[in-house]
Amino acid sequence: MSTPCRLPARVLSNQRAGADTYWLEIDAPPIAQAAVPGQFVMIGFGLGRLDAPFLPRPFSVGWRGDDGRIGLLVRRFGTGTHRLAALRPGDEVLLLGPLGRGFRWEQDSPLICIAGGVGLAPFLFMAPEAIRHGATVEILYGERTGDRVFDPQLVEKLTGIQPRLYTEDGSRGQIGRVIDGIERGRRIQLFGCGPTPMLRALERLAREEDLPLQVSVEEHMGCGIGTCQGCVVRSVAGEWIKSCTEGPVFRREELSWRD
Amino acid sequence: MAGLSQRLWGVEFQSPVLLASGTCGYGAEYDGLIPLDDLGGIVTKAVSLEPRPGNLPHRVAETPGGMINAIGLQNVGLKRFRDEKLPWLDEHLTKAHVLVNVVGHTVEEFSTVVAGLDDATGFLGYEINVSCPNVKGGTLFGTDAKALSELVRRVRQTTARPVIVKLTPNVPDIAVYARVCEDAGADGLSTINTFPGMLIDVEARRPVIGNVSGGVSGPAILPMGIYLTWRAAQAVEIPVIGIGGIRTAFDALQYVLAGASLVQIGTALFVDPNAAVDVQRGMAAHLESQGVAHLSDLVGAVELPNHA
Ligand SMILES: Cc1cc2nc3c(=O)[nH]c(=O)nc-3n(C[C@H](O)[C@H](O)[C@H](O)COP(=O)(O)OP(=O)(O)OC[C@H]3O[C@@H](n4cnc5c(N)ncnc54)[C@H](O)[C@@H]3O)c2cc1C
Ligand SMILES: Cc1cc2nc3c(=O)[nH]c(=O)nc-3n(C[C@H](O)[C@H](O)[C@H](O)COP(=O)(O)O)c2cc1C
Ligand code: FES
Repeated sequence: MSTPCRLPARVLSNQRAGADTYWLEIDAPPIAQAAVPGQFVMIGFGLGRLDAPFLPRPFSVGWRGDDGRIGLLVRRFGTGTHRLAALRPGDEVLLLGPLGRGFRWEQDSPLICIAGGVGLAPFLFMAPEAIRHGATVEILYGERTGDRVFDPQLVEKLTGIQPRLYTEDGSRGQIGRVIDGIERGRRIQLFGCGPTPMLRALERLAREEDLPLQVSVEEHMGCGIGTCQGCVVRSVAGEWIKSCTEGPVFRREELSWRD
Repeated sequence: MAGLSQRLWGVEFQSPVLLASGTCGYGAEYDGLIPLDDLGGIVTKAVSLEPRPGNLPHRVAETPGGMINAIGLQNVGLKRFRDEKLPWLDEHLTKAHVLVNVVGHTVEEFSTVVAGLDDATGFLGYEINVSCPNVKGGTLFGTDAKALSELVRRVRQTTARPVIVKLTPNVPDIAVYARVCEDAGADGLSTINTFPGMLIDVEARRPVIGNVSGGVSGPAILPMGIYLTWRAAQAVEIPVIGIGGIRTAFDALQYVLAGASLVQIGTALFVDPNAAVDVQRGMAAHLESQGVAHLSDLVGAVELPNHA
C-alpha cells in the first residue's frame, strides 16, 4: 500500500448514466497511477465552506484512464451524493487516495464479479485490468429497478465487456437476484460488492461451494486513513477492525458473518 | 515561524498547534501525508490499561457543520501502546511534542497507566481524559468535583511529567472544575471534549449511531469551545489548551485571545489533512501582518467592553 495523496483536483466531466446515477471523471494523475481495483478515494470540498457535505465521502475508484483520469460512479442518496451529482466540469474537489486494500486475483480460473447497484463501480476498474493480464472476467450486475441500470454502452466502453444484467422488477435484463446467476460446480473466483444482504447470500454460497470470495464492504467513514476508528466491521476473531485500512476488500474468511 | 513558539512546562513548543486525541491515531497514520514534526505536537488516541473493543457501528456520521462519533475508546491498551506505538513517535518526532491521552474506569486504572508509561521515552506528558461521552462512566470524573480532585491528586503523585486534564463541556460551570484541577496539582487544562448528541434515521426510526448517542465535534461547536476556554482560562493560572471546531487560523486565534496558550485541531483533519499545517501558517501570517512579535502577547488579550 502506497502513501495516499492529498490532491485538489478538477472535475473533467459529469454525465447522467441512469436514474439517480452519475459518471464523474476527475483529473487525478497521481491517484490514477497508484490505484489498484477495489481501492477508494475520499472526495470532499475542503475547509472553505460549511454546507454539506462537510466530511468527505468514500467512493470506489471506478476506473482509470491512461491520461490520469479517474472515474467515479455516484448514486444520489443523501445530501453529500446530491452535491456530487451536481458537479460540473471545472469544479474543484479535494481528493484523498488511493486508500485501503484492493482485490487480489489469480489468473488460473475465471473471475466472477457480483455487483449490486453501485457495487458495480470497482469492477469497472478491475475487469479491464484483469483482462489485460490474461484473466477471464464476467460481471453479474443487479439493480432493483431497470431505470437505475448504469448505461450498458458506457460499461462496454470502459471495460470492453457486457455485464449480465438482473433486475428485481424484471424491466431490464433477467428477472431475479444477481446471485442466482452464479453457475455452481465449477472452479471460479468470486468477488462481491453491494448491499449487505447480497454479500451475506454470496458468502453462504461461496461457503457451500467452497469457493474463494472477496467482498468490498461499506461502512460510515470519518478519516479514511485509519485514525478515527469510525469504519469498523467485525473480524472472524470477533474484533472490530478498520475497513478503511484493513479493507474495504476482505477475504470471506477474515470477517464474522453472524448477525 | 519564530513568533509562534511557546515555552510551557519547561519545554519549547515550536508552534501552538497540536492534533487532537482520537483524530490522529498514534501519529504513524499521517506519515508521509503531512509534516507531523513541524507541528506543535500530537495527542494520542486514548490509552487504557487493557485494550478496549469499542462500540457497535455506525460509529460516525455527519451533522450540520460537523460530525457525531461514538468510537467507544477502542484502543490497543497500555502494553501494546508502549511496545508498538510509542517507539514510532519516539523515533519520528524530534521537535513536535507528544501528549498521551489516558482513560480509566477508576483512579487506580488511571494511575496504573501513567505509572506503566512514565519511564518510557517518546512523549512529554499526559492528557487525562475525564470527558468521553461515549462510554459508560466516561464523564464520571469530569462531572464530580470530588472524584476529579482525587483523581488529579493521585496522577500528580504518580508522575513528574506534565499532567493536563481534558475537561467536558457538559457541566453547569466549567470554572469550578478548572479550579479543582489546578488545586489538585494539574499543570494544564484542555478545553473541550465533545458535546453529547444524537441523530435519528427518520425512515428506519432508529438512532443513526450504534451507541445511540455520541459526541458532537467540528465547526458547529466552535463558539461553545471558545466560551468555555475563556471561562476556564479566567479561573486558573495554569496554561489552557483550546479545542473545539477549529478550522481556520482565525478560529485558532479566537481561542488564543480567549486565553489558550496552545490549540488542538480534530475533526477538521478529516476534511483536509493539511488543516493543522494551514492553521499554523495562517497564525504566523497574522502575527506578521499585525506586527505582533510573539503569540504569547495575544494569549488572553481579548478586550472586554467596559460594561461587561
Ligand atoms: C469503500 C466505499 C466505497 C464506496 N463506493 C461507492 C461508489 O462507488 N458509488 C456510490 O454511489 N457509493 C459508494 N459508496 C457509498 C457512499 O460513500 C455513500 O453513498 C455516501 O457516503 C452517502 O453520502 P450522502 O451524504 O449522500 O448520504 P447521507 O445518508 O446523507 O450521509 C449521512 C452520513 O452517512 C454516511 N453514509 C451513508 N451511507 C453510506 C454508505 N453506504 N457508505 C458509507 N457511508 C455512508 C455518509 O458518509 C455521511 O457521513 C462507498 C462507500 C464506501 C465505504
Ligand atoms: C472520532 C473522534 C474520536 C475522538 N477520540 C477521543 C479520545 O480518544 N480522547 C479524547 O480525549 N478526545 C477524543 N475526541 C475529542 C477530540 O479530541 C476533540 O476534543 C473534539 O473532537 C473537539 O475538537 P474538534 O471540533 O476540533 O474535533 C475524539 C473526537 C473524534 C471526532
Ligand atoms: S474511516 Fe477513520 S479509521 Fe477508518
